[in-house]
Amino acid sequence: SSAKPTAPLAVESHPLEHSWTFWFDNPSAKSKQAAWGSSIRPIYTFSTVEGFWSLYNNIHLPSKLAVGADLHCFKNKIEPKWEDPVCANGGRWTVAFAKSKSDTSWLYTLLAMIGEQFDNGDEICGAVVNVRSRQERIGLWTKNAANEMAQVSIGRQWKEFLDYNEGIGFIFHDDAKLDRNPKNRYTV
Amino acid sequence: GEDGNGVMAKKYSRDFLLKFREQYTNLPKGFECKPDVSEALAVSNVNTSHESY
Repeated sequence: SSAKPTAPLAVESHPLEHSWTFWFDNPSAKSKQAAWGSSIRPIYTFSTVEGFWSLYNNIHLPSKLAVGADLHCFKNKIEPKWEDPVCANGGRWTVAFAKSKSDTSWLYTLLAMIGEQFDNGDEICGAVVNVRSRQERIGLWTKNAANEMAQVSIGRQWKEFLDYNEGIGFIFHDDAKLDRNPKNRYTV
Repeated sequence: GEDGNGVMAKKYSRDFLLKFREQYTNLPKGFECKPDVSEALAVSNVNTSHESY
């Protein structure tokens, strides 16, 4: 038959293991706010593959965001803040990129998280990209910083997913609260 | 896949997820753009109407 198959209506048929929320910290709002974190706003929560792309395809890539912006994607109900009860004892792996070079790694980080590609996926809170004047940083936040085996496994897998060959470090949130340049507790 | 507890986890490979990329280009139905997040949106890509001008 020459008849084209009918395009399916927007049937959401690929549920994700978790619901996830995109959050945005707007640089122009940030400068007016006194308290850190008070300008972070949720953009959208999705729980399907289709919902993810509908949003992702309509928000800026890190290279197009204004300097100072932070874009987060965290498991639903977890706020991207140290004070969140799930994050409180956690930490983060960080990968730094030259300006405008983080777009692909940001996408691959999101896909690995929502597709549950990490063996210790339960440990993951979410990811953030920080757009700064000289670089972009992607952070991967986890729950139990003291669980070295889980964090090291996540760090190693993350580097594989990004095809990233340099060393990366893991910082405890507790250290970051006390010191602007906290030491890496783990490196892979 | 199945995890150690015998619970099925909804796992999707990168290649599988990427297959859907081009199919879902419009903002989710009912999406509300709040003022504080508008800077995050690639507004030029937003299709608000299919009607002619």
